Amino acid sequence: MKERYKKYTVEIPEEMALPFAGIVEAPKVNGEQPMMLTGGWRIYRPVVDHDKCVMCKSCVLACPDATVLLVDGGQKIGFNLDYCKGCGLCTWVCPVNAIDRVPEIDFEDGVPFQDALFLLPHVEALYAD
Amino acid sequence: MAKTTEVTVWATGVVQDKEGRDVCLVLTEAAFNEGKFTQAFDNYVDLPDRINVQVRKYARISDAEIENKFEYENHRPNIVGVCEATIMKGINVCKGLQDGGYLIINSTKKPEDLLKYVPEKEKKRLKAIACVDALGIAPEQLIDYSGAEGAEDVSAIGLGLGSAMAGAIAAVSGIVKKESVLGAAANRTSAKRGYDEVKIKVLK
Repeated sequence: MKERYKKYTVEIPEEMALPFAGIVEAPKVNGEQPMMLTGGWRIYRPVVDHDKCVMCKSCVLACPDATVLLVDGGQKIGFNLDYCKGCGLCTWVCPVNAIDRVPEIDFEDGVPFQDALFLLPHVEALYAD
Repeated sequence: MAKTTEVTVWATGVVQDKEGRDVCLVLTEAAFNEGKFTQAFDNYVDLPDRINVQVRKYARISDAEIENKFEYENHRPNIVGVCEATIMKGINVCKGLQDGGYLIINSTKKPEDLLKYVPEKEKKRLKAIACVDALGIAPEQLIDYSGAEGAEDVSAIGLGLGSAMAGAIAAVSGIVKKESVLGAAANRTSAKRGYDEVKIKVLK
């Protein structure tokens, strides 16, 4: 089977590989774009059961914000919880039901705490005594 | 200057858009029937409405004519309502709270457990924190845009979660009488249950 399709495949060197199309690259530094922090939208947090996970990476492709990360040298699935907005698509696409949705309020941490939404310098004065 | 009581209600976008609006509308209609000057409006900065984004709904209740009628945000609220407790984890809902303010949250948890999400500065100003299981009392969360942005609401006001929250806010803060809230909400039973079943922790 592999030989049959070999003539259609192209070997791409790693330095020429592109990020997958149609998706903006995930923010590398957390808090880089404070007005776009969407972690606070999340009501259900995705939690991976690593025993069930078969590393098909469907969730990596499905995530609209590119917040599903490959951690431990690409061996495990992790999440960038500062930007994950809890849409649940990763749970939906998982073929082995390895990703659970757990209520965010039951965890102690994981959400970046913002003092206000859209805080601009001239707005700050209106909140003062 | 007459005292204006300002109410800010936090809700999740689309899912609780109507319910958050209903909390404000039930409270203002109840106060209007008591002969007060009222105003209820949405936050325009939060728009466009996206699913689960934090949105704010405002209400103002005053004994005399409202002077800051055309200010489009309540920067210094007296009462803060939170329709989904998870919002508190990511944002300081009590920002700008006035001294002696109230915080009412829709949650099955105890008020003491949720106090950790309020920063120290605002914690000193809180007079009482309260929890009500509004989603358990009235599980309907109707997605309806007819009442958005100042248009007329064709569906009944206060059918679901919002009526229980409005009842709880009235019970904790006492801005409107019990009979007025029950009369204003379409779902009289859940407004009554919200009024009766709210768990209050007085801080000072």
